[in-house]
Amino acid sequence: MLLKRYIPVAIVAFFGALTLSAWFIDNETIETFANDDATQFFDIIAAFAVFLGALNLLKLQFIKVLKQQSEWQYSAIAIASFFFAFIIGFFIRGAYFVGEDVYFSQQAAEEAVVAMNSSETVRPVDWGAHVQTDGSLFQWMFKYIFSPLSATMFALLAFFVASASFRAFRARNLEASLLLVAGIIIMLGRVPVGSLISSWLIMYIVAFSVGFGINAYTRNRNMALGWVLGSFGLITGLGFTMGWPIDQPAIFYLPALQEWIYLVPNLAGSRAILIGIGLGIVATSLRYIFGLEKSYLGE
Amino acid sequence: MNNKYQVYAGGIVGILLFTLALSALPESLNFFREEKSAMFAFTLTVIMIMLYEVRLAKSSSEDIFLRTIPGLKAVEEAVGRSTEMGRPILYVPGIMDMNEVETVAGVVVLGHVANMTAQYETELDVPVARAIVMQSARQVAKEAYMTQGRPEMYNEDMVHYVTDDQFAYAAAVNGIMQRDEPAACLYMGKFFAESLLFAETGNSIGAIQIAGTGSQTQIPFFVTACDYTLMGEEFFAASAYLSKEPELIAGITAQDIIKVLLIGFIMLAIVSRAFFDLGLTDFNLITWLNL
Repeated sequence: MLLKRYIPVAIVAFFGALTLSAWFIDNETIETFANDDATQFFDIIAAFAVFLGALNLLKLQFIKVLKQQSEWQYSAIAIASFFFAFIIGFFIRGAYFVGEDVYFSQQAAEEAVVAMNSSETVRPVDWGAHVQTDGSLFQWMFKYIFSPLSATMFALLAFFVASASFRAFRARNLEASLLLVAGIIIMLGRVPVGSLISSWLIMYIVAFSVGFGINAYTRNRNMALGWVLGSFGLITGLGFTMGWPIDQPAIFYLPALQEWIYLVPNLAGSRAILIGIGLGIVATSLRYIFGLEKSYLGE
Repeated sequence: MNNKYQVYAGGIVGILLFTLALSALPESLNFFREEKSAMFAFTLTVIMIMLYEVRLAKSSSEDIFLRTIPGLKAVEEAVGRSTEMGRPILYVPGIMDMNEVETVAGVVVLGHVANMTAQYETELDVPVARAIVMQSARQVAKEAYMTQGRPEMYNEDMVHYVTDDQFAYAAAVNGIMQRDEPAACLYMGKFFAESLLFAETGNSIGAIQIAGTGSQTQIPFFVTACDYTLMGEEFFAASAYLSKEPELIAGITAQDIIKVLLIGFIMLAIVSRAFFDLGLTDFNLITWLNL
C-alpha cells in the first residue's frame, strides 16, 4: 500500500506543487528545475521506455506471423520494416562522400573513384550524423518511403473532410440548417467569386428565405407573399437610391459577412470552450496535486 | 448570506491581502514575482474553493447534483452494444505522452471503461502511441480487472504499443478498425489532424463512437463524425461523473463557482475598459493587473 499508493501520490504532490510554485517564485534553482531539468528527466525516461514499446510491438507481430493469424502478411511487413530501419539507423553509415557526391556503400564510392580516375579520397560520414546527412541511406528511406507514406495518410483528410461535411451539412434541423448556411457563407466569402456576388442579390435571397419561413411557420400564404413583395419592393427602391454598389450594405456582402461570422460568433463560441478547457485543466491538475484523484494509479 | 459564500468572500479578501503583503516585501526578501500577482491570487482562490467544496462533500450526506452528460451515459451503452454484438471495444488515449493532462485524463477514463468491460466480459483493445502511456494504461486496466474480480480476463497485450509517429499511428489504428470491426470506438485524449481519420473510419464501419478531448481545434471534427463528443471541461469531468465519488464531484462544483466568479470578473473588466476608452477614468483594470 505504501509503495503503490502513498509514495506515488506524495511524489506527484511534491513535484506538482514545486512546478506550480516556479511560476510565482523568483528563484533560479526552482525555475531551472521546472523549465529544464524536469523536462529532461521526462525525455530520458521516454527514450528508455521506447525499448519497452518496440519489444511489445515486435512480440505481437511475431506472434501473429508465427501463428499465421488472419492477415499476418501485414505483420511480416511491419517486422521487416522495423529491422530495415533499425539496421540502417544503427549499423550502416549509408553515406560515403567522394567530393560532393554521396554513395550508400564504401564499395560503390571506391568504384566511383576508380571509374572517374579521381584523386579524391572516400570520406565516410560520422556516426550519428549519418541519419541527418542528405543523400545517406537513412535519409533516402525517410525521403522516399516514410514521407510519402505520411503524406498519403495526411492527404486522406481531404476526402474525409468532404464526407464529414456532407453529413454535417444535411439540413435535418434548425442547428444543422444554421451550420449549412454559415458554411456556405464562409466558403463563398473566402473565394474570389464571393466578392463578385452583389450584396443586393443576398438581400433578395434573405428576404425570400424569410418569406419561406413565414409560410412554413404560419401556414399563411398571403402573409408570406405580402412579406416577399413588400421586402422586394423596399430592397429595389433602396438599390435605386444607393446606386446598387456591390459591397453595400456591408452586412450582406459575403466577404464582410464571412469575416463577421468568423470573428464574432465563432470567436465568442471558441473562447467560451477555451475558458472551459482551461478551467478543466486547472481543476484536474489540482485534483492530482492534492491527491484527490488517484485513478491514474489504478485506484 | 449563505455561510459557504461568507467563507469564500472572507477567503478571497484574505488571499488578496496576502498577495499584497508578498508584493510589498522589501527588496532583499522579495522572492515573489509581482507581475504574476493576479495569477497567484486566482490560483489560491481556485485552491481554496476546491478544498472547501471537497470538505463540504465529505461531511455532507446529501448527493451533489451533476447534470447528465449524454456522452458519458453512452459509454455504458457502448460497452453493452459491444457485448451483445460480440465485438471488441477500441479505446484510443490520444497521441501524446503522459506530460499532457489530457492524456492523463484519457488514461483515467480508460480505468472506468475497463471496469465495465470486465463486468460485461467484453474484449478491450487499446493501441497507444507512447511507451509510457502503455505502461500507465496497463496498470490502470489491470487494477480495473482486479477490482471487478476478473484478473483472469486481463491480458497485458490488450494495451499495446504501435508507434510514436502521428500518421503511422493513424494508419495502424485505422487498420485495426477495418480488420477487427469494433462495435464501439472511444477516443479520449489529445488529438491533432488524425482525429478525423479515426472518426471517419469508425463511422464507415458502423461503430458507436464517443470522443472526448480538450484539443479545441479537433472538437468540430469529432462533433461531426462521432455519435457523442465530450467537449473540453466535460472531458475533464468524466472521471468524477463515472466514479460518482463525492470528493471528485465537489471539484466540478468548485469549477462552476469559479466560472461564475470569472464571468463577474469579465463583466467588471469590460466596464472598466469601456470607461477607460471613453476617457471617463484613467484606471484600466486589465493593465493594472498585468493581464
